[in-house]
Amino acid sequence: MIAATPVAAQTQTTTATISANVGTLATLTLSSANVSFPDADPDAVPQVAALGGPLSITAKARATRLSQVLLTVQANGPLRSGLDTIAVSAITWTSTGAGFVAGTLSSTTDVLVGSWTGSGTRSGTQDLMFQNLWTYASGTYTATLTYTLSAP
Amino acid sequence: MTKAVWSAAAAAATVLFVASPVLAQSVDTKTLNVSATVSARAKLTLSAASVSFADADPDLTPSIAATPLTVDVKTRTGNAGNVTLTVLADGDLMSGSDPIAISNLTWTTGAGLSAGTMSKTAAVTLGSWTGSGNHNNMSQTYALANSWTYAVGSYAAVVTYTLTAP
Repeated sequence: MIAATPVAAQTQTTTATISANVGTLATLTLSSANVSFPDADPDAVPQVAALGGPLSITAKARATRLSQVLLTVQANGPLRSGLDTIAVSAITWTSTGAGFVAGTLSSTTDVLVGSWTGSGTRSGTQDLMFQNLWTYASGTYTATLTYTLSAP
Repeated sequence: MTKAVWSAAAAAATVLFVASPVLAQSVDTKTLNVSATVSARAKLTLSAASVSFADADPDLTPSIAATPLTVDVKTRTGNAGNVTLTVLADGDLMSGSDPIAISNLTWTTGAGLSAGTMSKTAAVTLGSWTGSGNHNNMSQTYALANSWTYAVGSYAAVVTYTLTAP
């Protein structure tokens, strides 16, 4: 008779601590670095749409849980053509995409473009419009807008 | 055996996954260059395309007034651009071969325009402004000097209005 004595299985456990550092991060992408508004008859086209259509915006943020991710825009001053100026409030926009909002441009305060809660990738469009008035002096006007995405 | 050991270790590692929050705020900025083209433009609107004078007794009505015209001017020009509105007749008032000198046609105006006498040789200034803007609902009233010397007929001339915004 052969008896087989079972050998008790031996188990060894150990632990490994894995840490991942997930810091706040914000990445903003605009579909273009330039927007231009063509000349138009103020009576026929009181609001001039930007050439090329709406601006596509992608805002990627890793943020603290439940914190507010903000995308704002501010102009560096009025639209200028030499000494002639047009207030940047002549530029307004409508938006598509969850969290994106319509607004009126300012050169003195940040204006909200979009807001979201927590981390994520958000995409939308901003359709910029230029108020077209007879009272403007002729010229080619320029300004620079700064978009700021903050993830706290 | 070996498999069992490593399964347990993997389970422990899963439980101990730690994410360390970093509280610093992250910011990304992008700039967008905006340009808007505003070209010189001129738009002139008259309330009527024709003006007529009824027949009248020269003694009773030495000057025949027409229904006033309303003139709307819209211009975009340089900041110091000189906007002008002029009128010029294509000739005398004619009925067949009978003329009435176009200088018999005069006008008075409301605010914003200047009174004058029509000419067929030189444009006459009806209004002038500086810079861009709207000048609406200005009134111009033509009058025709009525004279016994005119030959009977139905007289006509064409007057061209020219609005210039440099």
